[in-house]
Amino acid sequence: MASVFAMIMAGGSSEQLSVLTEMRAEPAVPFGGKFRLIDFPLSNCVNSGIYNIAVLTQYKPRSLNDHIGIGKPWDLDRATGGVRLLQPYRGGPYGDWQQGTADAVRRNLDFVLQQAEAHVLILAGDHIYLMDYQPMLRQHEQSGADLTVAVRRVNSHETHRYGIVTVGSDDRIIDFREKPRRSQETLASMGIYVFRKEVLAEILEDGDYIDFGKHVLPAILKQQRHVRAYAFPGYWADVGTVQAYWEANMSLLSEEPALNLYDPDWVVHTKSEERAPAKLGVHAQVGGSLLANGCRVEGTAERSVLSPGVFVAEGAIVRDSVILYDAVIEAGAIVDRCIVDKNVVIGAGAHVGEGDDNTPNATLPEVLNTGLTLIGENSVVPEGLVLGRNVVVHPRSEAKAFGKKKKIASGTDVGANLR
Amino acid sequence: MRTIAMILAGGEGTRLTVLSEDRAKPAVPFAGKFRIIDFTLSNCVNSGIYTAAVLTQYRPHSLNDHIGIGKPWDLDRSRGGVRLLQPYQARRGQNWYAGTADAIYQNLDFIRQNRADNVVILSGDHIYKMDYRPMIEYHIAKGADLTIGVMPVPLEQTDRFGIMQVDEDSRIVQFFEKPKDRDKGNLASMGIYVFNANVLERRLSEGRPEKPRNDFGKDIIPAMINAADRVYAYRFEGYWVDVGTIDSYWTTSLELLQPNPALDLYTDQWPVHTKSEERPPAKVGPQAKVVSSMVSNGCVIRGVVINSVLSPGVYVSPGAVVENSVVMNDAWIGPGARLDKVVVDKKAVIGAGALVGIGDEKVVNEQMPDRLFMGVTVIGKSAIIPDGARIGRNVLINSRRDEGDFPADKIVGDGKTI
Repeated sequence: MASVFAMIMAGGSSEQLSVLTEMRAEPAVPFGGKFRLIDFPLSNCVNSGIYNIAVLTQYKPRSLNDHIGIGKPWDLDRATGGVRLLQPYRGGPYGDWQQGTADAVRRNLDFVLQQAEAHVLILAGDHIYLMDYQPMLRQHEQSGADLTVAVRRVNSHETHRYGIVTVGSDDRIIDFREKPRRSQETLASMGIYVFRKEVLAEILEDGDYIDFGKHVLPAILKQQRHVRAYAFPGYWADVGTVQAYWEANMSLLSEEPALNLYDPDWVVHTKSEERAPAKLGVHAQVGGSLLANGCRVEGTAERSVLSPGVFVAEGAIVRDSVILYDAVIEAGAIVDRCIVDKNVVIGAGAHVGEGDDNTPNATLPEVLNTGLTLIGENSVVPEGLVLGRNVVVHPRSEAKAFGKKKKIASGTDVGANLR
Repeated sequence: MRTIAMILAGGEGTRLTVLSEDRAKPAVPFAGKFRIIDFTLSNCVNSGIYTAAVLTQYRPHSLNDHIGIGKPWDLDRSRGGVRLLQPYQARRGQNWYAGTADAIYQNLDFIRQNRADNVVILSGDHIYKMDYRPMIEYHIAKGADLTIGVMPVPLEQTDRFGIMQVDEDSRIVQFFEKPKDRDKGNLASMGIYVFNANVLERRLSEGRPEKPRNDFGKDIIPAMINAADRVYAYRFEGYWVDVGTIDSYWTTSLELLQPNPALDLYTDQWPVHTKSEERPPAKVGPQAKVVSSMVSNGCVIRGVVINSVLSPGVYVSPGAVVENSVVMNDAWIGPGARLDKVVVDKKAVIGAGALVGIGDEKVVNEQMPDRLFMGVTVIGKSAIIPDGARIGRNVLINSRRDEGDFPADKIVGDGKTI
């Protein structure tokens, strides 16, 4: 077995997730009811037998620190190895904040070189997939590559979202283009890299590369080094946009979801909160939904994902929505195609996500144009208020932020952006 | 003042039939994801008692697994924490625990080592939420040698409890262990004791081979009252239940489903901690119907669930109907199967189209008429009910029974046992 340690990139601010990342780093965004995004790469590591892991943080890391702690849920509270959170720091040759993924690793080169393992596995903290890294590591070692990149096939009209590789004979990567508008090639990098450690150090010491995809990969190819592709056939989702995040949650609701969270041989570990089982009332109507422990449903929940502690009062309707921790949907309220962040209160009789007016959001038109309305954490939507589509309510907005209006039109922003 | 807790968890709980066959009663699952002992352990840590011993004897494996080093209760500590105390052999030829008092007596070393001033002795098989601190303060304020937690019970149940009579200062003047006559009052012992450690040691050590002191209710408490020790009653007002029988287990479980149950598991004021299994959220299919029920993580429901409690990992197939039932971890309910008033233990399989809990509730169980008489049918751990079987009420299917153990016509009448 290859000797490898993992570095998980968890510092990004990811504006495209709107209110979900206003108060927390992207990898700490809740997913699938009780999980957080970083649970997937962390669990993949321990399930693949990798027990030495560093998590690199920068943007609003408090949720992430709380969540990972000393790594108990992943059995990473160990005497050797375990999980380490690497924060940005002052001093040393580089100083200042990290500019990107490669820069973040460069600023922790001392740490990288101190590790006993010969290879470095670089992972993103915001991808959802179940993957055994061992076959990829075996291929990396047997081929003697300097770098192995995990790739998967994507639709030809999606190539503009990914880094696209061109593969020569025996899986060698000969070309790489970042987010090409048009491309004959459809093999996309998954942002999963295995480096030979001394090669990684050499490259990062040499230049001032900022990003692995944009800068390091082209540079290493230019140096004519040995770079290989490893094809991964399974489910993989980059939930970097609100729409992708919502779709990935909804895909869990299908009868046989591509992402199997119920596999006893590949458990996704998380910091489980201590909550009683979900409780459904006499008049509850729940269909096609996920209910985490601690939920109480007296009303209706259709095709929705409910995190721990969510309360849906009698007569309230939740449809096609993702509701995060301890949100309260009061009596008679309707929540339709929404992402409701934690501790939000939707007042009685309020209607969130109403009508056919699909005016894109004024501040994020490229991201928020599919009709999803977002309510930031700890906000209170007043009783009886109607909110249209593509509306963003920033965290901690209370009655005052909504003004005296009875209806908030589609595409509006409410409250102050706390990013 | 140093206070430690000793939790008695060795009981066999025979009246719970197959539920406590492979496991001690405190390890019996309850309310979906909990086990009975979680309530007592959580009461301890929520009351600020961080040194607790759990005394085991009967089938301790489930309990050992569950408690482990006490992580869920934050009892994995370098000072104090939770200790499992098993029966042991010693040069003086000690034996199995002969009773509650004997169990404590054989572990007096633990009390001495912890230099406890007060010892709280608890039972691991009661369901309640209680802050022990006011009781301990009361014990100290009264200058008591022993304080007993008490509550009034219906007169017709007094023969199940230790019943006491108190003076106007709440000092106990007489104590009757499970009195047959109903004229002794209705103030019942809850099996919750706060002892002054020195007095406890003295009174436990006074046992003689011809007159052993094996049991608190039978031996120690009467002896202390006779010796004019200061024995006081502390009234507890709140929910407390001893789920001693299958019927009370079933009733207590289903009471949780009421809109505002007496036992509120959803407040963060007094969390009940347990060893949570790592499971994804419960999945309710598009055709499913779930009402008046509790559903734990890891459940997949494609059929109908009404007025039932489901533990983690239960699978309910399309077309199946589960009603008024308690279903434990990873049980599998086949397509078209119907369950009514059934307690299904872990990993049991109910075959397709099987009907369980049909027939006459009045026909009591033939072998255990005093334990199974309310119409509840019990399916033991890992039992396999064949496809299309018809199983009556008050039936007991023992653990690990499969197709071969059933009659050829797959019909099991009311009150039968397999």
